[in-house]
Amino acid sequence: MDNTVLNSIFSWDFVAAGIRVTTPILLAALGALVAEMAGTPNIALEGTMLFSAFIGVIISGFTQSLWLAVLGALLTGIVMSSILAYFSLKLKTDIIMAAIALNIFASGGTIYALYLLTGDKGSSASLKSLVLPSIDIPIIKDIPILGDILSGHHILTYVAIILVFLVQYMLYKTPLGLRIRSVGESPDAARSVGISVFRTQYTALIISGMLASLGGIFLSMGYVEWFARDMTSGRGFIALAAQALGGTSAYGVALGSLLFGFSEALSFSLQFLNIPYEVTQSMPFIITVGALAFYAWNKAKNKKNRDI
Amino acid sequence: MKSTKRYEIYRTLIAIGIALALGYILILITVYPDGDMTFVEKMKVAFKEANESFRTFLLSPILKYRRGNWVFNLRGFIQWINESVPIIITGLAVSLIFTAKHFNIGAEGQLFLGAAIATGAAIYFPSIPIITPIVVILLASLVGAGWSAIPGYLKSKWNASEVVTSLMLNYVALYMGLFIIKTFLRDPNAGQLVSLKFSDSATLFLLNSRYRWHSGILIALTLSFALWFVMKKTTWGYKVRLIGNNKHFAYYSGINTQKTFFQVHLLSGAIAGTAGIIELLGYYGRFVWLYSPGYGWDGIIIATLARNNPIYVPIAALFLSYIRVGAKTMGRYTNIPPEMVSILQATIILLVTAEAFLSQMKQRAIEKEARKTEEAIGGELNG
Repeated sequence: MDNTVLNSIFSWDFVAAGIRVTTPILLAALGALVAEMAGTPNIALEGTMLFSAFIGVIISGFTQSLWLAVLGALLTGIVMSSILAYFSLKLKTDIIMAAIALNIFASGGTIYALYLLTGDKGSSASLKSLVLPSIDIPIIKDIPILGDILSGHHILTYVAIILVFLVQYMLYKTPLGLRIRSVGESPDAARSVGISVFRTQYTALIISGMLASLGGIFLSMGYVEWFARDMTSGRGFIALAAQALGGTSAYGVALGSLLFGFSEALSFSLQFLNIPYEVTQSMPFIITVGALAFYAWNKAKNKKNRDI
Repeated sequence: MKSTKRYEIYRTLIAIGIALALGYILILITVYPDGDMTFVEKMKVAFKEANESFRTFLLSPILKYRRGNWVFNLRGFIQWINESVPIIITGLAVSLIFTAKHFNIGAEGQLFLGAAIATGAAIYFPSIPIITPIVVILLASLVGAGWSAIPGYLKSKWNASEVVTSLMLNYVALYMGLFIIKTFLRDPNAGQLVSLKFSDSATLFLLNSRYRWHSGILIALTLSFALWFVMKKTTWGYKVRLIGNNKHFAYYSGINTQKTFFQVHLLSGAIAGTAGIIELLGYYGRFVWLYSPGYGWDGIIIATLARNNPIYVPIAALFLSYIRVGAKTMGRYTNIPPEMVSILQATIILLVTAEAFLSQMKQRAIEKEARKTEEAIGGELNG
């Protein structure tokens, strides 16, 4: 075995790449978690990320203002989630169908709008859009090794890490979190004690959409510096997997996201070892299915009255 | 019963109407000219261009404009029918699983892996006319059933969410399929990643060789009829529908719901598994996909439009491929991005699946029917 492979895996570049790939997945996976806990699985994460990535680039390109771009992207997340919530909670569309519709809409809608606004159908490369900065943490960045690990990441990576704790706190330590969990556990029981199921699920979906939109702008305003058609390429679905793997705690979800992020980073390095990238790429998905099977088996074993 | 059915048809038509109107508006926005004209003049130009583009969009799959006359567009027609084949098949697979109220959205993976593995057979299986394509398609079907069995088993046995597991397996199928093609079946002389050519007798019979109109449509229509027969005329189909309506009721009527659910996943996978290879055998003559073609997702749209009824599935699929071919042709002649169709599709799904959309109309229809029935019964009683 040659050392170049090991060197490339155990290098700070590799760690940095892993963190970079993990960030958008983690942000969206936190969104998946909040929605899932409220009993309204958000399959529209993919479309929400894509549309936010697009809006971020367009607004920053035309106004040259980062704040407006971030605001616009967050607003996009809110709008997408509101449509999802309105159709599924008010008009009684099946939430999975509504989400599939939104994903299709985002995929075609962004290409259409991109053409209207820039004249291109493939990417926004012709538009001078901005990127969100990376941050060097003073003092820490000068410490050897530790500085390499902790400092110099994209601002949204730090935001994502903070959000892991915030989401965990919100879900388990605040009244809103309690409401979300009880609505998710049993809507009827929650309703009987005076909780508005609609308002709680709506709030959860909005939070979920905003988290996904942060993941989206990371892609177009950090990971790369432009918008490209279908640039999320399944990350919203991967986030669902990361959440399914991580279970009901934000820490678990963070670990699940890291698994997906790092196995993607790893798949590039392992190609040198003649391990085909298809194998490494599909590992986290296989692990997720295995983990889901295990959870379900465990639950079915412990439950006396099995679901029919 | 009758009036609610009519209401469903109205609602679908209204949804399609709204979507098409939206399509016209999108075209209008795209062709709105720049330059220094008055608003009225600009609108005039825009309307004129939008009308032309919209006409291309609506007519091009069947008609084309040649020397001042509208003539039959054979090429567009064949493209339209060919494109509907794989999505009729996935539409059937999805409608079956949705009838049982399970959300196995793994058709995408089933068809991809089925096609990739069956490609091996299509290249290397001994050339026997008629037999070879049947063997190849059956192999793909078997792979699809096996792939669908995983989420099906996990769901019916332990109640693991089939939405997430089937979604995950789509990715595994994609990577596995590509790996198989790349490692064992790749054509080393081709510029891009494609498989070796299929053996001659493996390919499907052509109805028109100039534009490669293949006989896949006959397979798809036969499948639709067969599935309709199974669902509406057999005990098994009745069981599935009963489970979909109320699984608790079905369970307590003595139906083995676990077993039936599992069988539904198997059959749905067996159908979906063939969707990819049939198109490859008929049209391309080798494996050509570098990523998932998306037919599994189309199947969801189609099943929704067809209300999970196998006999309506071809109609819904033909509608979907019609507007797609129309949009593509329009995209060739104008600058309007064909992806515009996605916006229309999303609108249609949202409106068709929104149970409360136009629910007042449904309510009125039900009341009217109830009143009629009441009168009829009253008449009988009095007479």
